[in-house]
Amino acid sequence: MARNITMIDAITEAMAQEMERDERVFVMGEDIGLSGGVFKATQGLYDKFGEERVLDTPLAEGNIIASAIGASMVGLRPIAEIQFADFITPAMESLVQQASKIRYRSAGGYGCSLTVRICCGGGTGGGLYHSQENASWFVHEPGLKVVMPSTPYDAKGLLLAAIRDPNPVLYFEHKKLYRTAKGDVPDGDYTVPIGKAETRRQGRDMTVVTYGYMTSLCLEAAEKMAKNGVEAEVIDLRTLSPIDKETVLESVRRTSKCLIVHEDKRTLGIGGEISAIVAEEAFEDLDGPIVRITGPDIPAIPFAPPLEHAWMVNTDKIVAGMEKLAAY
Amino acid sequence: MAAKGGRGVAELETEKSENGRRSENGRELMLGLYRMLVKCRMCDEKARILFRQGKFAGNFYSGVGQEAVEVGAAYTLREDDWIAPSHRDWTSNIIKGAPLNLCFAQLFGKATSPDRGKSTPAHMGYPPLHTITPASSIAGQLAVGTGVAFGLRRLGRDTVVVSFFGDGATSLGGFHEALNFAGVHKLPIIYVCQNNLWAESVPLRLQTALTDLSNRAKAYGFPGISVDGNDVMAVYDVATKAIARAREGEGPTFIECKTYRWYGHSEIDPAKYRMKEEVEAWKKRDPVALFEKVLRDKKLLNDESKDKVAKEITQEINEAVEFAEQSPYPDASELADHIWAQE
Repeated sequence: MARNITMIDAITEAMAQEMERDERVFVMGEDIGLSGGVFKATQGLYDKFGEERVLDTPLAEGNIIASAIGASMVGLRPIAEIQFADFITPAMESLVQQASKIRYRSAGGYGCSLTVRICCGGGTGGGLYHSQENASWFVHEPGLKVVMPSTPYDAKGLLLAAIRDPNPVLYFEHKKLYRTAKGDVPDGDYTVPIGKAETRRQGRDMTVVTYGYMTSLCLEAAEKMAKNGVEAEVIDLRTLSPIDKETVLESVRRTSKCLIVHEDKRTLGIGGEISAIVAEEAFEDLDGPIVRITGPDIPAIPFAPPLEHAWMVNTDKIVAGMEKLAAY
Repeated sequence: MAAKGGRGVAELETEKSENGRRSENGRELMLGLYRMLVKCRMCDEKARILFRQGKFAGNFYSGVGQEAVEVGAAYTLREDDWIAPSHRDWTSNIIKGAPLNLCFAQLFGKATSPDRGKSTPAHMGYPPLHTITPASSIAGQLAVGTGVAFGLRRLGRDTVVVSFFGDGATSLGGFHEALNFAGVHKLPIIYVCQNNLWAESVPLRLQTALTDLSNRAKAYGFPGISVDGNDVMAVYDVATKAIARAREGEGPTFIECKTYRWYGHSEIDPAKYRMKEEVEAWKKRDPVALFEKVLRDKKLLNDESKDKVAKEITQEINEAVEFAEQSPYPDASELADHIWAQE
């Protein structure tokens, strides 16, 4: 049965159900046990499963991930939480040198079935160090899968898929969606396939490629454009690595135009990669330049409201990009 | 637990108990330790020769001079125990029982090596006997090894992890995070620090204000012991107690083994930063020669039996080198293999 629930509830439910189903699964991270997580993503799990399976860790992100990697190497299925994507940097060694490479460097002798839940994203007044996304860093690392849901349905299905995946999966959660994104979520078991994008809106005039929180803004912008007779197709990537090239290319070949929208910084962001894929593989089909609407190349999202507002991608900026592209 | 193929258990002149652990007493133990010391020394020296002959590329990080640490700490491990080695611990695979053919194939980067030529020569792991294929990032291995101990404890097993690392690793944040975590959860891990006084070219006095690195353990709430790392029996005794302690769920132990690497950080490092007198003084405390004297004094070894050991190991090494030389390189088509799990 489907219920209308928030994204945070969908995330909690996925973990609870999988812990019930598979005793190898456990969660670990900062403040996830006794307090139920700073955003309450693990609320109720401690009471239900106890300290052994809902483990509050020392404040040491590198060791949270390294411990989870080691546990996965003996057959367990850890879900590690990184409280804010801004604080993932101490775990770079563990993620980039260990998790992504242990299978490769041992020619499959050792594996790493690890899920890392990472709270990310701006627009909530979090300031420089509670607003970063940072997902693209890990898209550069083959051996890591990277996903980011935009709906409660996908949040549950992608998380279940991530936990069951025998590879390390980084699962980014946009904090702004935790309680604003609501939708129908089945109470039973299902997965959303990793590596598969979803077309959220059909349209003939341009392809908009986006993911996460930006998906809802792109859909709003597309509705505004529709009033002027421009029909945009909106693709929610859902998985950032491996990118679902086929869905993107199939759409661009039909619409002949490509707009890419992401919240994170511009240079070497996901948009750069999508642009390259489209330019390399659908050049003959393009009727206009590839356009990117992204966060700026500014170190991080500043605190003061006008500054944060200026930093963030919003519907108006997306509409402007769509208008620019529609003119071709 | 059955011995794995190629292990050569009989040649060790040791007896194995039912759980795969080498027996701890008497003549057989001492002769077994001696034989393993000699084997590690001879394999390591052979690796250096092969590198300088241009037989394999990359680099090699010799552990000559530190054999008593490797052998003393790893000799008594069971087959289901784990080792988290670093770059200077290629021989820990030999001690754990990895077939010598594969150890030399590893140096040559051949398709017959455990990682099919993916990792560099000295960075060897052997998954069937749970030695972890190391990353080159110092202390990274120690953190993952601690995670393995965390997992083993969660599974309720009495299996332990031995982590090998140098003095240099104790300066990294990851080292401190891992030891702290191991202390909190009383993890079944033995941290074996090969304090050879130099982190590549940086002397200990510029690495730490401590004299005894075992004092690091105090901050994490578990025992730290400093031991003569060139005395194989001393290391063996301390390690055996630490391993038993870990198996019984009493938590980690930090063992600082004071030792010395005879050669440079790697084969391309002439190590001119060290005083000749220091090197010579340590060479006089050769762990192999020291133990040989102990055995001769106990009438457990004579010229004849010593030659026999050397000859047998030489034969084994020659066969392994031949195996490695004749093995093919991995095919270029394997480049993208093993990035992802095979569903």
